[in-house]
Amino acid sequence: MTASDITIPRANGPSEPSTKLGSSDGRGTRQGSLLRLRGDIPASTRSAAVVAGVVCLLGLWGLASTIFAGEGFAIPTIAATWNALVEMARDGTLWPDFLASTRRVAIGYSISIIIGVFFGMMIGSFASIDAFFEPQFGFLRYVPATALTPLFLIWLGIDEAPKIALVVVGTVFYNILMVADVVRAVPNELIKASYTLGASRRTVLRRVIFPHAWPGMIDVARINLAAAWLMLVVAELLAAQEGLAFRIIRAQRFRRIDRMFALLLVFGLLGIASDFALRAMRNRSAQWARD
Amino acid sequence: MSSTTFRQTAPKVAIRNLFKDFQVGNSARSATTVRAIDDVSFTVSQGEFVCIVGASGCGKSTLLNIVSGLETATSGAIEIDGEPVIGPGPDRGMVFQAYSLYPWKTVAENVAFGLEIAKMPKPERQERVKELLGVMELTEFADRLPKELSGGMRQRVAIARALAPSPDVLLLDEPFGALDAMTKRSLQEFLRIVWLRTGTTILMVTHDVPEAIYLSQRICVMTPHPGRLAEIIDVPFGAVRGPMTKRDPRFLDLVDEIEDMLHDQSATQPESMTGTSHE
Repeated sequence: MTASDITIPRANGPSEPSTKLGSSDGRGTRQGSLLRLRGDIPASTRSAAVVAGVVCLLGLWGLASTIFAGEGFAIPTIAATWNALVEMARDGTLWPDFLASTRRVAIGYSISIIIGVFFGMMIGSFASIDAFFEPQFGFLRYVPATALTPLFLIWLGIDEAPKIALVVVGTVFYNILMVADVVRAVPNELIKASYTLGASRRTVLRRVIFPHAWPGMIDVARINLAAAWLMLVVAELLAAQEGLAFRIIRAQRFRRIDRMFALLLVFGLLGIASDFALRAMRNRSAQWARD
Repeated sequence: MSSTTFRQTAPKVAIRNLFKDFQVGNSARSATTVRAIDDVSFTVSQGEFVCIVGASGCGKSTLLNIVSGLETATSGAIEIDGEPVIGPGPDRGMVFQAYSLYPWKTVAENVAFGLEIAKMPKPERQERVKELLGVMELTEFADRLPKELSGGMRQRVAIARALAPSPDVLLLDEPFGALDAMTKRSLQEFLRIVWLRTGTTILMVTHDVPEAIYLSQRICVMTPHPGRLAEIIDVPFGAVRGPMTKRDPRFLDLVDEIEDMLHDQSATQPESMTGTSHE
């Protein structure tokens, strides 16, 4: 049998063009440029989309505030919210509230990160330490940190300590486990190569595993920061004399929905700002891991 | 050379009756012992270039890892200049297939890392890095990050970095396995230049038979299940080799001979797990 004897069966001969294979202008399905899966878009299109998103959100808010303008289910207008924010800034509560809340999160979350990096490095690097801590952290991770609030109020009083403790407890297990994952992702070849270059175990930890995991650790910190603010709100709702969440409760008492909106806005902007700062720090300190 | 008579009698690398068993299975009860290396012995002389070839699963990479000290043998011994290997060290530089450069360090910093660990003074260190980058034709890329380099350049950096602490033995674990054919050819030339210029003893693992013949002086052919040393073949070419070498009838015959050896073994022993149950 020669090659010419072999006939390849054709599903669609040239005489009968398939409707599936293409339309009148050619084969295949034309790909759109704007909504292509995983497709790149030009920077200008990108910024236009961002601006459009913000405008849309503000537009919806404006629309909703005119529809729900009555009593009860009321949504304040953008102007009213802005005025409430200015009002709180003028009467001298906004800045101390902002500082009090930020301070609690900053202290609590810093402690959480330090613990998370230390234990994450150990667990991600040593199988024995991983096995030792697995049951404890597996258990503690599923104890809702918010359920510990009453306990902390008894143990630590109603000052700053229980609030900071809640921020720590509510985030530390996520930080530990996620940092451990980042550490586990350090390629084996990198560690092996370091040993054959004469590095000690300590040197490998300090000068190979840590720098490789560093940008990933910042990403972990970015992701779990939201949980830190969540814990702060719970802490302030229960017992506080100042703070952004405490001020929301106060606003509720006076039915100041405009103030509540203003405070929510502060939370959101604070989140965006901290995320931006952490991302900038990651890109500056780890040029190699920039995407 | 009379003072080094003893040294000359001891081979550079001696692999003596090496066995390596792995425990397979995740629970202690269902664990099975699989023999990865079964009584392998051979020696490598000072300055020699030896390749280990074999199909995947023949234990060749495990063997190299044991020589490097990164893995331990179940029994048997590795000796370098008559001294037993108890762990990894800078006297045995190693190059992996991929992912072994420090992505946050520049090319020059990568090459310098082993020298920093050895606490070599900075001027000396810079001199050594410069020299190595020159040999590997990487001088103009000294300040680049690994992600900015092609696969072939990365492997050149990896070789330069492994050579930096002047190792007694250079261990290469399928160093060109992830490269395209053209890059591979140029890297082989680089490796030959390095070997001819430095006289470093080289032990290289590859599954590419022509590559093994072109580069090395002796070839250890390993067969899988369990990993055994089937034969040691002397390569009949001298130090001067080039494109013509690969067209030499002896070269082509040798390729056939070794590839037949590898295929026969894998055909007669299909997927047989020559392990013994733990219980």
